[in-house]
Amino acid sequence: MDTAIDIALKFAAITVAFTVVLLIVAYTVLAERRVLGLIQGRLGPNRVGYGGMLQPFADLLKFIFKEDIVPDKSTRFIYFLAPVIATMAALMTMIVYPFGPEIRIPFTSITIPLVIAHFDVGLLYVLGVTSVGVYGIALAGWSSNNKYSLMGGLRSAAQMISYELALGLSLIGVILLAGTLDLAQIVELQSGWHGFRWFIFFQPLGFLIYLIAAIAETNRVPFDLPEAETELVAGFHTEYSAMKFALFFLAEYINMFTVSMLATTLFLGGWNVPFAEDIFGRGTFLFGLVSAIGFLLKVIFFLFIYIWLRGTLPRFRFDQLMDFGWKILLPLALLSIFITATLIFLFPNL
Amino acid sequence: MLALLFILFAALAIGCALAVVAQRNPLYSAISLIGVFISLACLYVMLAAPFIAAVQVIVYAGAIMVLVVFVIMLLNVEEEEHRRTRLKFLVPVAVALSAVLIAEVAFILVSVQEFRVSPTAGGSNVGVTSSIGSALFTRYLLPFEITSILLLMAIVGAMTLARRGGLLSPNARVIPGAQLFARSMVDPMAAPDDLRAVEADSTQEAADLLGMNRRDRNESA
Repeated sequence: MDTAIDIALKFAAITVAFTVVLLIVAYTVLAERRVLGLIQGRLGPNRVGYGGMLQPFADLLKFIFKEDIVPDKSTRFIYFLAPVIATMAALMTMIVYPFGPEIRIPFTSITIPLVIAHFDVGLLYVLGVTSVGVYGIALAGWSSNNKYSLMGGLRSAAQMISYELALGLSLIGVILLAGTLDLAQIVELQSGWHGFRWFIFFQPLGFLIYLIAAIAETNRVPFDLPEAETELVAGFHTEYSAMKFALFFLAEYINMFTVSMLATTLFLGGWNVPFAEDIFGRGTFLFGLVSAIGFLLKVIFFLFIYIWLRGTLPRFRFDQLMDFGWKILLPLALLSIFITATLIFLFPNL
Repeated sequence: MLALLFILFAALAIGCALAVVAQRNPLYSAISLIGVFISLACLYVMLAAPFIAAVQVIVYAGAIMVLVVFVIMLLNVEEEEHRRTRLKFLVPVAVALSAVLIAEVAFILVSVQEFRVSPTAGGSNVGVTSSIGSALFTRYLLPFEITSILLLMAIVGAMTLARRGGLLSPNARVIPGAQLFARSMVDPMAAPDDLRAVEADSTQEAADLLGMNRRDRNESA
C-alpha cells in the first residue's frame, strides 16, 4: 500500500514539475521576444494581456488551430514519431535536478527532499537522455523527404555529436572534484563557505567550455546552423506545421532550460544561496523556499544569457563550427581535466 | 511491482528485437534496435546497476545507433525492400544459429540454477560506479588501456581513409560531418528529390562539386 501511495506521489510530482517547466518555457519564449525587442530597439509582443503576459497562450491556441500538414511522400510513422522523441527526451531529464534542500513541513516531523527522483548516477542519466534527443531531429530531417530538412537534420546531428564530447569532458572536472555522479550530493558539496563554495571557482575553464558546448548542443545562436534560414529555409522542421512544429519549438526551449539547470547545479552551487543557511537554519521551510527561488533565479540568469547572445552574435559558418568544436573546445576541455586532476593529486585536501 | 515492471521491459525488449528482424525497412529495424537497448537499460536499472544502464543508453542508443541510423538514412532504402528473396539461403543458417543460442540459454538456466541469488540481495556493489572505476583502473588496467589504443587506431584509420592520401590540396580543409551531400543539391542533372549521398572530402571538393569554381564536375557517386 505504501508503494502505491509513493508511486501516486511521484506521478503527482512529475505532473507538477512538467507543468511548471512548460509554464517557464512559455514565458521564456515571451521573454525572448520582449528582450530581443529591447535589444533591437522595438517593442515586441505587448498587446495580449498586461505587457503581453498572455501572449504564450494566444500562441498556443494558434498552434492548435493551425492546419496540420503532412507531406505527401514523407515516411508517415517516423514523421509522427520524431517530434514525440524530441519532446520526450527533453522533458525526461527534468526529474533528477534537486531544486532545493531537504525541508521539514511546518508543524510536522515529515521531511521531504526537494527533488523528484534521487538517482545515483543522475549526471549520466541526464547525458544519456539528452543523447537520445538527437534522434528526434535526425529522424525529422529524414522523414520529411525534403532536402532542406535532410541537410538540417544531418548538420544538427553532426553538431550535437561533436559538441557532446566537449560537453561531457567539461563535466569531468566537476566529477573529479565531487567524487560522485549524484546531483544532490554535488550540490551538497558546494554548500561550504556559507553557501558560496561553488565549483565555478575551481573550474572556470570547464564552466566556459560547458557554457559554449551547451549552446551548441541546444542549436541556439550563434550555433543555430541546423535551422539557418538563409540556407535551409527552417532546417529539420521545414515541413512541420501546427502542433508538431510546436513540439519541436518546445523541445528546443526545454533543452535550453535543462542545460541551464545543469550548469546551475554543477557550477553555480545549485540551490545554495549565500548566507541563507546562517539566517534561516537548515531544514526549515523558509530555507527551502529561499533556496528554490535562488535556484530558479540562477537558471533564469542562464536563460537570459541565451537570449542576450541571440540578440548579439551572428551565426557561425559550418566549417568554423566544426573547427571550433574539435580543434579548440576539445583540447581545452582535455587541458582542463589535466589541470584539475594534477591539482587534486598534488593537493588532495583542498 | 518489480515483477510487473520486469515483464513490461522484457516484453518490450523481445518485441523490439523481433521487430528488428521482421521489419523490411532498415530504418525501422534500427529504431527497434534502439528500443531494445533502452528496454535493456531499464532492466539494468532494475538489477541495481544504474551505471551500466546509463552507459548502455549513452554509448549504444546515443552514439553507435546514431551512426547506424545515419548510414541507413544516406543509403537508398527502397532498393532493399524490393529484393525480398535475395538472401533466402541464409534462413536455415539463421534457424540453426538461433537454435544453438536457445540451447545455450537453456543450458545456463538448467545448470546455474543452484547459484541463483535474489535480485534484491544487499551488500553487492557490482555495477556501482565506484567499483567499476576501481576495477577498470587497477585490476583490468592493461586490457582497458589496450582497448583505448585500439579505439584510437580505429579513429586514426578512419581519418586516413576519409582523407584518402594525397588527394587533398594543401589549402583544402576536411570538414568532419559535412562530407555527405544529397545528390540533388550537388548535381543539376539529378531529380530534385534525389537524396542519395554525394561525397566530398573537403571545402575545395565540395566547392568543385557545387560548381562554385565554374568547373564541370557534376557527378561522383
